[in-house]
Amino acid sequence: MAKNTPKNRRAVIVGGLRTPFAKAFTELMELDTIALGVAAVGGLLRKLDLPRTEIDGIIWGGVVLPPLSVNIGREIVLDLGLPASVEGHTVTRACASGLQAITDAASAIERGDADVLIAGGSDSTSNAPIAFPNKVTRTLAPLALGGKATAADILGALAQLMPLSEVLPRQPRVAERTTGEVMGESAERMAQRNEISREAQDQLALRSHQRAARAIASGRFDDEITKVETPKGLVHSDSLVRADTSAEKLAKLRPVFSKTGTVTAGNSSPLTDGAAAIVMMSEEKARALGYEPLATVSSWSYVGVDPADQLLIGPAIAVPKALDRAGLTLQDIDLVDMHEAFAAQVLSVLKMMGSQAFARERLGRDQATGEVDPDKLNIYGGSIAIGHPFAATGARMVTTMANELHRTGKRSALLGICAAGGLGAAAVLERVD
Amino acid sequence: MTDLLLELGKRPFVRKLVASAGLPMPMPEALPRPKGPSVERFLEGKTVRVAGEGALGAALANLLPRAGATTLTATAALAATIGSKAEAYGRVVRPLTAADSESTDKVHALILDATALARPADLRLLYTFFHDHVRSLARGGRVVLLGRPSDTATTLAQAATEGALDGFTRSLAKEIGGKGATANLVLVEPGAEMRVEAVLRFLLSSASAFVTAQPLRVSAEASWDNRDPWEKPLAQKVVLVTGAARGIGEATARMLASEGAHVVCLDRPEDDEPLSHVAREIGGTPLTADVSDPEAGVQIALELKRLHGGVDIVVHNAGVTRDRTLARMQESGWDQTININLAAILHITETLLQTGALRDNGRVVSLSSIAGIAGNMGQTNYAASKSGVIGFTRYLAKQTKARGITVNAIAPGFIETRMTAAVPMMIREAGRRLSALGQGGLPEDVARAITFMALPGSAGVTGQVLRVCGGALIGA
Repeated sequence: MAKNTPKNRRAVIVGGLRTPFAKAFTELMELDTIALGVAAVGGLLRKLDLPRTEIDGIIWGGVVLPPLSVNIGREIVLDLGLPASVEGHTVTRACASGLQAITDAASAIERGDADVLIAGGSDSTSNAPIAFPNKVTRTLAPLALGGKATAADILGALAQLMPLSEVLPRQPRVAERTTGEVMGESAERMAQRNEISREAQDQLALRSHQRAARAIASGRFDDEITKVETPKGLVHSDSLVRADTSAEKLAKLRPVFSKTGTVTAGNSSPLTDGAAAIVMMSEEKARALGYEPLATVSSWSYVGVDPADQLLIGPAIAVPKALDRAGLTLQDIDLVDMHEAFAAQVLSVLKMMGSQAFARERLGRDQATGEVDPDKLNIYGGSIAIGHPFAATGARMVTTMANELHRTGKRSALLGICAAGGLGAAAVLERVD
Repeated sequence: MTDLLLELGKRPFVRKLVASAGLPMPMPEALPRPKGPSVERFLEGKTVRVAGEGALGAALANLLPRAGATTLTATAALAATIGSKAEAYGRVVRPLTAADSESTDKVHALILDATALARPADLRLLYTFFHDHVRSLARGGRVVLLGRPSDTATTLAQAATEGALDGFTRSLAKEIGGKGATANLVLVEPGAEMRVEAVLRFLLSSASAFVTAQPLRVSAEASWDNRDPWEKPLAQKVVLVTGAARGIGEATARMLASEGAHVVCLDRPEDDEPLSHVAREIGGTPLTADVSDPEAGVQIALELKRLHGGVDIVVHNAGVTRDRTLARMQESGWDQTININLAAILHITETLLQTGALRDNGRVVSLSSIAGIAGNMGQTNYAASKSGVIGFTRYLAKQTKARGITVNAIAPGFIETRMTAAVPMMIREAGRRLSALGQGGLPEDVARAITFMALPGSAGVTGQVLRVCGGALIGA
């Protein structure tokens, strides 16, 4: 804690908002990740009527970063026309980037570095840069950047780029850099290894869609979504949730990553465009400005596992750590929100949370973290139904849970997120009275 | 010198041709070897079949799921013990059924816990398990039997039964050697059950590619702290390797460094250049000394203490041959061989112990030779020095066990080196082919055996001589 900082400062969430989540290459395709961030943050500032001069900074999460303007956080400030004094930076921790931005904001506020911060994240898979092999850069850049080139130089450079197959742009894939494994393949292996059946995965996916559809129909998300203007018109609602899906429809889909596999497009999260943001303040400041605090982030934990082993099992290790730090057990938790990268991953994590053997061997504990009551889990669906714009998911989950705690008077919510690179994240939110 | 038959055997076309022509020529199978340093999950994606209701269930449960194996067993007790751990690592234990013995799926390893066998009739388990499953063993697969040393038996029948495992393993090794597979026997003393992990990791992995038909005893004699990392296991360890400028010594220095050790590479002053090159490449320290110099021990001990405060692992690899039949052998040829190959090892080790340079829980590994076990024409001096190393090893192991220092020897068989490339063709061919695996070993095979002996987890292995010989017929 910095000097001259009152102890026991508490960072509180005063509100959150997101863009609609749209399947990649559809309605939101024209907006890049910065534009999506601008839409979410702009909408949130309007909704909260937050005085622009009170904002200290933006902490923004991003996974697929635009190569020429990596610091999305600052670009959002500038594009929104916020005061130039509002600083901005960008954090990246794969799919945990959005949560990372939020826990960083909590740290900064509680340490006394700031009073009012915007935190969140965005991703536009539709605008993922297509990377040329380094060979192209190394051959062409000296010509482009290094003064005058003669015709001979240019011909020479072109000759170096043969054969053409070596210099064609590479298709972007959600693959692990160290193992080369596509994430779905990792999920497929986890399903096999933890004996997660196709039926159980489809069941979880179905529940995700049904619950999300119900939430949309009941207007539960209305306060959490801002409409977004695009060159092709106004987008005002999520477009991925399928109210009409069924166990039969899901069962018909073919496994994607292995002929005999279980992971399908139906029980995986789709590539998605979108953004989500929250505003966090010191409790003192929130009350002084007249905002009602919704919740506080009591604790969090980030962990790493070997990506070549079970890439997405991290939350099973992060969750008990976060619970410990909050001084809570799973029995104390009212709501559990688990990012659904793949149904196979959620079910593997849940199984390990309930496993005595996992607790003993992997956590060094006598007792399993516990079984999660399905009625408390992802009560409004998850990433499989709603979509998963990588870095936006954290703020989406935090917003929904903070609102739910405030709305219902429930005490606590547990969040779990798995991420590429073998990362796992967990956080505990508690209601602020 | 490349092994032509081995190279030809890598081509399926040639294999087919030899088979269809009915040539009485066994084509040796290329041995799979590790591509890098040791890894925790060395059995990733592999299937092992396990049987036997003995004392090693808990040790196997500790190892197999963590190593990444899918386990098949028909033994209910094993299924329960291994299953209780497997879930934590997302691994499956499946019941082994009659259908599995018919299945064309190949398995990486067959493991039998034979520690509970007490009467000759119990040996029937060896027959049934391996009879049913040996055909399923993959190329380059592994057979490991776990038994008790017969001198720890409590009845005569038990001693006889335990003794039988040795002949069985050696014979099976010969039967499966053609497909590059190995069979070895681990003799676990009562009370040493949880110390078998390092041994099993070695024998079940491709690190032991050239070790077959060997018994290895595991005891609880030397102290052990039971905290073994299996990746970079030698981090923070200081190693001395003598004769490190080339050959097996160089391969050993490189291997130990890749496992995290800081290696002090020692060789003769004349070899300063290649020595420095090796040391630089592996981030180690070159040290020149003539090991047969009476001052060498003190010089080495002082240097090790000055540079690193001491040494954890000593590999006595430096050696010479001065081959002549005894009647023609010169005095100097005798003296040099005994001095460098045996007296220097004794002298340096004693000095390192007396000066306190060799730290607690240390490891001493010396190079013996098949010649020291079987004898060899024209090598009375060499064979004497190498069997002297065995005497040294067995005696010193008892002296140092209280300090946790293990002492072992490696006896290489036919290894493809500059030395063996100079051997006449017919003798060379005999050296290669008269073995279970039908080929010569590589310096890295010896280096890996030394590395295994040097691990913190190998505390259960002391006073042992391990042959790295491909199941050579001579001296077996």
